[in-house]
Amino acid sequence: MNLLLLFISAAIVNNFVLTYFLGICPFVGVSKRISSAVSMGLAVMFVMTITAAVTWLIYHLLLVPYHIEILEYVSFILVIASLVQLVEMFIKKVSKPLYDTLGIYLPLITTNCAILGLALFSVLREYSFAESMVFGVGAGAGFTLALVIMAGIREELELSNIPKPFRGAGITMIVAGSLALAFMGFAGLI
Amino acid sequence: MNKTAKMVIVLTVITALSGAILSTWDGVTKPKIEYHKLQALKAAISDVLPPYDNYEEKDINGYKVYIGKIDGSTQPVGIAFKVEGSGFQGNISIMVGVDPSFTSITGIKVLEQIETPGLGTKIVEDPSNKSNIFWFPEQFTDVVIEPEIVVLKNKIPQKPNEVQAISGATISSKAVVRILNDNIQNLKESYKSVN
Amino acid sequence: MAKKSISLSKEFLKGLWDENPVLRMLLGLCPTLAVTNSAINGLAMGLATTFVLLSSSVIISLLRKVIPHQVRIAGYIVIIATFVTVADRYMAAFLPEISKALGPYVPLIVVNCVILGRQEAFASKNGVGRSIIDALGMGSGFILVLLVLGSIRELFGSATIFNLQILGDWFNPWMIMILPPGAFLTLGLLIGLGNWLNERKVKI
Repeated sequence: MNLLLLFISAAIVNNFVLTYFLGICPFVGVSKRISSAVSMGLAVMFVMTITAAVTWLIYHLLLVPYHIEILEYVSFILVIASLVQLVEMFIKKVSKPLYDTLGIYLPLITTNCAILGLALFSVLREYSFAESMVFGVGAGAGFTLALVIMAGIREELELSNIPKPFRGAGITMIVAGSLALAFMGFAGLI
Repeated sequence: MNKTAKMVIVLTVITALSGAILSTWDGVTKPKIEYHKLQALKAAISDVLPPYDNYEEKDINGYKVYIGKIDGSTQPVGIAFKVEGSGFQGNISIMVGVDPSFTSITGIKVLEQIETPGLGTKIVEDPSNKSNIFWFPEQFTDVVIEPEIVVLKNKIPQKPNEVQAISGATISSKAVVRILNDNIQNLKESYKSVN
Repeated sequence: MAKKSISLSKEFLKGLWDENPVLRMLLGLCPTLAVTNSAINGLAMGLATTFVLLSSSVIISLLRKVIPHQVRIAGYIVIIATFVTVADRYMAAFLPEISKALGPYVPLIVVNCVILGRQEAFASKNGVGRSIIDALGMGSGFILVLLVLGSIRELFGSATIFNLQILGDWFNPWMIMILPPGAFLTLGLLIGLGNWLNERKVKI
């Protein structure tokens, strides 16, 4: 598949959050402010790109040659957990300001289903190394996009008069539903 | 005991146990899973080919080709193969059967698709058409491939190489036809040069 | 440990309502949204998740004094991922239809926050008996929400529940309900309803 199409597909048409429901927890939790949404989005995009590369290598150079595909889930989740730790330590060393912005979001990423979902999808769809990298960047961009749009809407929502039971998660879900509906309009793009 | 050593030992033991349990479980479930896969493949092949006794598997030009044969006859009854391409929202994969001379289709079966439910999914089955929910894929049976299959919008097909598009899902219908046209032509040349 | 005094039946019932993982705690939303386009898919996902939750809780509660604090999360996720693989392969081998319908959402149980959350908050601090009750309660609460959501979406989206025709031919199915937007909208309304009921209960 054409790499550009793959990118557009992962970022917009088959948006991870709005069509595959991956990464909903941070989508609800970290979408109150645009600034924190941007930081979270970038952190996820960063980890996704590295995860895409590392899990591809592990699957195709380790699990497949030794016929231990059954360890796929165990090894993927361990890799993601350790990667997140490494990335956290690395950022802390390299750039203090970057760590201050991304730091608190990194531990949350381990249990972000979008990361594991990405690794699983690229195995399932038999992507090549390049394809799975592009898929990782695209999915991360799509996640950031959905998160930032949501945060923008929620900042406005704070000023509006919402029935009390719907405040917080309820209205977020309903807005997400409308967003998902809008994103369905992109379906013919690829 | 040293704290770090304990951490390492406990984690190693847990992981080793997990590996042992899973490889045993793999031995139990793998034959079953392989069996289901083979059954699904056989079902798809027999859906798209005329009745046959057995089939021969061949790799031609990157396609896995299944050639249906009747015992005692050298002439195959039809050739089945899996084709793929992008649809409205994602990949569509189809098992298609053609006659040995590559002139007409003996049947198609959509194996995987993620088209819009209720519209594009009618390429598999159409619950709104109570008399025949499989009308879209069934149209392709006996459709002539030469020079290529043509999709008609809101018109009843007249010529042997025409099929009717699903109303409301023109792009999905066209995608199916495009995938078929491209891949059948592709395989036709290489199949003829092999045989 | 102040909670020690509460009875076992309360320990079970809290998962159904007061601390319902989905409606009250907002955990495990991905599978809740993704697989509830029909009641049967919701039920299968709920059962698979409960199986993983229950087995992991038993093991982790047994090992709670053995696993060092610093590496507990790593240990937990290995144990959880092991049980998820067992469940996933079981479904692929014995229930191929359902396994195909749920697709990659079965392996994604690994990162279902309900499971890791219960290990961290409960199984690692309580005995096996209590952990089993807690896991069963949380699992039932999760199944309940998935079942309700799946039934509502299937009813309006396909006019059926568990593939049984409920609404007659006069009803034109609302396609949107089985598409992603329908999932968000229905869950949003359910969460609102949950909050509303809860508030009324407190006032009475």
